[in-house]
Amino acid sequence: MRLTITQPRALLFWKALLVLPALMALTLAPAFAQPSAREILERVDANMAIGTAQMRAQMTIQYREGDARTLEFESWAEGTDRSLMIFLAPARDAGSRFLRLEDNMWIYLPRVGKSVRIQGHMLRQGLMGSDFSYGDASENPSMVDDYDAVIERVDTLDGRPAHVLYLTGKKKDLDYPMRRVWVDAERGVPLKEERFARSGKLLKTSLLGDVRHIGDRWYPFRIELDNALQSDTRTTLQILDFALDIEVPAAFFTLRHLESGL
Amino acid sequence: MSEPKRNIPLLRLAWRNTRRNTRRTLLTVAAVAVAVAASIFALAYVNGILDNMLDTYARTESGHVRLRAEGYSKRERSLPLHHNLPHLSETLAALRAQPGVKEALPRIRTMVLVDGVDANRPGLLLGVDLAREEGYLNPAAMVTAGRLPRAGYAELMVGRDFARKLEVGVGDTLTLLGQTSYRSLGGLRATVTGLATTGLGHLDATLLLTSLDQVQAMTDLPDATTEILVFADDFERADTLAAALARAVQPVLGSTVEVLSWKDQGPLIRMIETTKPLMGVVLFILLLMASLVIVNTMLMTVMERTQELGMLAALGMRRNNIVSLIVAEGAVIGLIGAVIGGVLATGVSIWLEHTGIDMTAAARSTTMPFQGIVYPDWKLIYTLAGLFLGTLTAALAALYPAWRASRQKPAEALRP
Repeated sequence: MRLTITQPRALLFWKALLVLPALMALTLAPAFAQPSAREILERVDANMAIGTAQMRAQMTIQYREGDARTLEFESWAEGTDRSLMIFLAPARDAGSRFLRLEDNMWIYLPRVGKSVRIQGHMLRQGLMGSDFSYGDASENPSMVDDYDAVIERVDTLDGRPAHVLYLTGKKKDLDYPMRRVWVDAERGVPLKEERFARSGKLLKTSLLGDVRHIGDRWYPFRIELDNALQSDTRTTLQILDFALDIEVPAAFFTLRHLESGL
Repeated sequence: MSEPKRNIPLLRLAWRNTRRNTRRTLLTVAAVAVAVAASIFALAYVNGILDNMLDTYARTESGHVRLRAEGYSKRERSLPLHHNLPHLSETLAALRAQPGVKEALPRIRTMVLVDGVDANRPGLLLGVDLAREEGYLNPAAMVTAGRLPRAGYAELMVGRDFARKLEVGVGDTLTLLGQTSYRSLGGLRATVTGLATTGLGHLDATLLLTSLDQVQAMTDLPDATTEILVFADDFERADTLAAALARAVQPVLGSTVEVLSWKDQGPLIRMIETTKPLMGVVLFILLLMASLVIVNTMLMTVMERTQELGMLAALGMRRNNIVSLIVAEGAVIGLIGAVIGGVLATGVSIWLEHTGIDMTAAARSTTMPFQGIVYPDWKLIYTLAGLFLGTLTAALAALYPAWRASRQKPAEALRP
């Protein structure tokens, strides 16, 4: 059965969902025989959206020819709009850093010694040659704000029951106007995702795994991304350390900070 | 009754006849002269353009023999730096030691993003051995303002149109972002030392030229390059040279290298090669047009001389003699016209071979690889062919009027 989004639920429920610990929400979830698509999406947002966070991660790019290369970076994020990313390894890429403020992104390379703002189609290019675009790497969107959803079917992925949601963008300038997301029915964590262009062409496929319980939420620590337009690579992102709700100084997400050597 | 054999001095008669109506003769002579001149010049000119294209293509793209890592050509559009040729100095030494090799030039081309005033613009960064490229890519000849970049310095020469778009001039600094051979992000911050005009529209609008070492550092390709262009003593023998070079670099690079003669590169070369025989068709059409004029004037001649020819027939001149006479007239006129046209076209072609024809504006508006000044390439055979074909065409064009004349009955022709 196909369910379209129902009318907005009572505001009270909304608020309740926000304040209730996620675990409570989880135990409540099975009580709803069939949650609405929007409710599922809200649970995804509750798991994935962050206030402030800091992570250290490894990005492995696997080439079709057989070789692979691994990069390590550290990143900080605040809300959906602000993030900073610094590459730590390998040595030749160490010190390359990326600052995102809303729709703007700046790159700082030690060799260049000056930050460069990148815009437009450049944001869709692969970050350091990976399948992640600069946009992907720094995005932290609210799915409920950006997309309308319908439940397509219920599926099983890696032995876990999952709702398959089909998302259609509400805004015009989204990198992916359409998405299909497999959401873990119990934990509300995306397990797999297909991202499409406006034409309906499949752009990227991601598999999410190593789901861990952190704080009051479930979070996937591993993302495998395959870019259909960059057919000779496959990128795996593995989070090594992850800290939520950290203190970030006010001047952290600024150009001056980006250029001053941190 | 047997007729005595008469020898009619046809050519003398024909020569005299051509002088009887000078205006008519001059008209026909002019038609032949123009056609022959146009044909000879067209051959020289088209040949000059094709030579120019091949030469430009060789110096900017193909070399006489080009070496690349296997796999590069297949993804050429993305200029894949990870398909590169390592051990560059060793490879260059091996190539330059080969007999028949005049020069071996490493080049790296890569797409970069130029940090502009209000937008990033894509550009083509080309790193070359600036000193050795003299006479090949000819960077010194491109400088229209400022000077060449120096090896070992973060300096750039920017295509003139590109500089205008970026709103930069000599002395300004540009920041470039690009890929490294590891497909990471690389960058270069360099001073603009000069502006370049290559004569090639697409290059003038995108080119950033710098010393090879700068691009090697930016792209993380120390002692490596993406292509080596080899220039031969005799470019016609590039095929044999390519095979020899493949063997020569094998100890250094193994067999994972693509060695291609210019003849095997790209559809453009094939197009140019197939264009050459088509020039015969052009020549044919020009002469056909000339022959129509000749047929026309010869017909006029015959009509005007109905009475005279009738008289000749009445005096006993045979039909085939009348045909021969008029064809001979055609041939004489053709020869005169062809000689005039031939001398004219040869003179002009040889003169333009030295001064050249400035096609800068046309070259800039096309993506075809040909550079500003075209030098016609005249060959003696063009003039000889023009002379022969001009005379022959005029003689053949006289055949129909001659046949018409020979069909007239003497009595009718003599009727006033």
